[in-house]
Amino acid sequence: MGGAGSALPQDAAILFFNPGAASFHNSNEISVAMTPTFAKGTFLEDNTNETAHTTSPVGTPFSAYGLFQIKEDSKLKLGLAVYTPFGSTVEWEEGWTGRFALTRLKLLSIFVQPTISYRLTKKIGIGAGFVYSYGKVNLQKDLPLQDVSGEYGHAELSGSGNGFGFNVGLYIEPTEHLNFAVTYRSQVNMNLKKGEADFSVPESLNDKFPDGRFTSSIPLPSVFTFGIAVKPSEKLAIALDANYVNWKAYDTLAFDYETNTSSLLDTKSARKYEGSIAVRLGAQYKVTPQIIARLGIAYAMTPVQNGYVTPETPDNNRINYTCGIGYTITEKLILDASFLFTQVKREDTNLETGLSGKFKTLVFAPGLAVTYKL
Amino acid sequence: MNMKYTSIALILFTALVSCKPKIEAPEASMGDVDASRYIAIGTNNTAGYSNDGLTFNGQDNSYAAIIAKQFSVVATIDFKQPFVSAGSIGFNIDGKSPLKLGNKTDCKGLTSLSPIRIAGAGDMTQLMNQYAGYGPFNNFGVPGMSALSINVAGFGNPANGVGNFNPYFARFTSNEATASVLSDAVAQNPTFFTIMLGDDDILTYAKSGGTNGVIPLANGAAGVGFSGSLEEVITSLNGNGAKGAISNIPDVKEYPYFTTIPYNGLTVDAANAVTLNQIFNPVGISFVVGVNAFIMEDLTAPFGVRKMVEGELVLLSTPLDSVKCNGTGSVFPFRDEFVLDLDEIAEINTKISEYNTVISSLSQTYGLAIADTKLLIHRLKTGTVYNGVSMSSAFVTGGAYSLDGIQLNPNGQALLANTFLEAINLAFSAALPYANPIKYSGIIFP
Repeated sequence: MGGAGSALPQDAAILFFNPGAASFHNSNEISVAMTPTFAKGTFLEDNTNETAHTTSPVGTPFSAYGLFQIKEDSKLKLGLAVYTPFGSTVEWEEGWTGRFALTRLKLLSIFVQPTISYRLTKKIGIGAGFVYSYGKVNLQKDLPLQDVSGEYGHAELSGSGNGFGFNVGLYIEPTEHLNFAVTYRSQVNMNLKKGEADFSVPESLNDKFPDGRFTSSIPLPSVFTFGIAVKPSEKLAIALDANYVNWKAYDTLAFDYETNTSSLLDTKSARKYEGSIAVRLGAQYKVTPQIIARLGIAYAMTPVQNGYVTPETPDNNRINYTCGIGYTITEKLILDASFLFTQVKREDTNLETGLSGKFKTLVFAPGLAVTYKL
Repeated sequence: MNMKYTSIALILFTALVSCKPKIEAPEASMGDVDASRYIAIGTNNTAGYSNDGLTFNGQDNSYAAIIAKQFSVVATIDFKQPFVSAGSIGFNIDGKSPLKLGNKTDCKGLTSLSPIRIAGAGDMTQLMNQYAGYGPFNNFGVPGMSALSINVAGFGNPANGVGNFNPYFARFTSNEATASVLSDAVAQNPTFFTIMLGDDDILTYAKSGGTNGVIPLANGAAGVGFSGSLEEVITSLNGNGAKGAISNIPDVKEYPYFTTIPYNGLTVDAANAVTLNQIFNPVGISFVVGVNAFIMEDLTAPFGVRKMVEGELVLLSTPLDSVKCNGTGSVFPFRDEFVLDLDEIAEINTKISEYNTVISSLSQTYGLAIADTKLLIHRLKTGTVYNGVSMSSAFVTGGAYSLDGIQLNPNGQALLANTFLEAINLAFSAALPYANPIKYSGIIFP
């Protein structure tokens, strides 16, 4: 569906898309989904024509939703959503030309969102979820300090942290053919309070690069969504979402080391992300009473400005193509399979590291969801 | 679901996720350059002299060797160098071994990482002539060679006696008695050449604190002035239509050798201030607690000594232990050889500017590409970053200069090679890929 659906309550995943529409979804159900994500990146360095590839492992975004009504005909619905809105692992091949900027970045965030959704009238629903998030970061790069055997130094910064936020939504269903949604998921700051910095450097520099603690903070941005769903017939539904992601919050990536030395100073890297808009369009068609076919497309603007492209996110404006199929096995059990494809190309010279060249990334993400109605 | 379709889908999917995105690289080309017989003319950096010595590793990573390596991406070329044995520690003509980074304890008992000699003496067996076994060669980089000496017959003849021949050229001359560097180069019948001359004439004067002779005249006949000598080189080499590139002269005062010790690096405590004032107040010099300018000899000053002034330079040859513990630069003023005073600096500036005028005019006359080494050295002075690696002229830690503070290390040599390649690409419609400096080694830490 291209990632649209805030105005189309049709399964428990609506807890993520729009807590306000959850109260309009009729059944009590549990749904789990997994989307193995294969991202393949290539970099061509401008000056040398040297090429490097990513060796990133498969990404494993997952989600689990439970949606319950305390008693039948209640206007109140309770839900619990667990999902991974941000996160990926980017790893570049050993010895690549950008090794002193980045060799590996692993970012994982899990949001746990208990939610209340209430049907105000037959046409209006509101909902709110409290978000607790847990995140892990592991950033590695080589250091341009060579020892006698020719080995370069290496830095590994890892840490975990948690943060809090909320997810609220409003759902309006003026007619059975037309629905509207407005949602807002707040920013969550992942504060790494006890990060561990681990350096391997030539022996004579050991006291200049002491292993120890660091602190940092990574903002996971807020998302404002306006959505429309149109249902011209019993069989066809079309959903359109527009997101504004406030990436402006990601201005600087700073590391504050507990122990500084003349060689190990606190760092501040400008990221200067911009707010970005994404438009998502999806359509689904009930081919038979058991089978639903889905198609979607999304256009997402990049938050990364020229001069700030890094090997951790060689991002650009992109078009995502998705398709899917839903299969109702029994009255209680539904399987949904999906597939996402996108290609991202970016050319840039990073102002901080001078890394200059062309990035190209292909992403394939086949997903599978199982929904069980209670 | 049908097994057949399932397996086809699986195979397709596996193929899809295992493919790597391709980005087409622009095609490399030689343009109008015929590098089949490339020769390099020059001095220290050309030879790959670094860490105050000649080593296999230094030679293997000279900018000339790196340019040849980049040529070989497109063309088949054989670039031969008069190598020091790969296993040798190397040497310099003072009989010393090259420098490495190691722990050194100073006069105050403080141990820190500093350049130290690899061994008590250099491997002088490497002075043996290599021509019969391995010549002829393509790299005519001769450390310490004046542009005026390049066509001196017998320049590699030990029989001429110390001071009248160059031992580095003696290692690879084709004929000790009769060959000059230029005659050997011409004998190679080059199709392409690079020239980096004149920098050593400036440097020889500058690194001696202005005590080693004078900088040769910019204008004058071959063997007398820089212009005639350089023109003789160019016209000897371009006879068969060979094209070439020439480096301009950088401001050698931007090398770490001249920028590491500040003119006002004399720190004085209260007790020392009293002592120094007792000694120097009678000659009109006074000291304050804290930062002071060093004291230097100056025959034109009253009493022959004075404070250094801003803009004057203390050289890295200064005995730092004596400065820290024995009053050198204060009680015992710096001798002239450790200092560039304002007059000497003015002379250096004038000559660099005149030499560069010569280079610019001759390169125009003969259609040579100009490599802007001056800009590169200046960029290193202010600091530059390449693919996440910061490089500067900071002594040892800057990463582009070797431990002698004058010559470049392989990292810096790659930057210099790229400076030449940039000029060659531009002048001769070539599209040669650049060397990747971060794949060459920098300072090696123990």
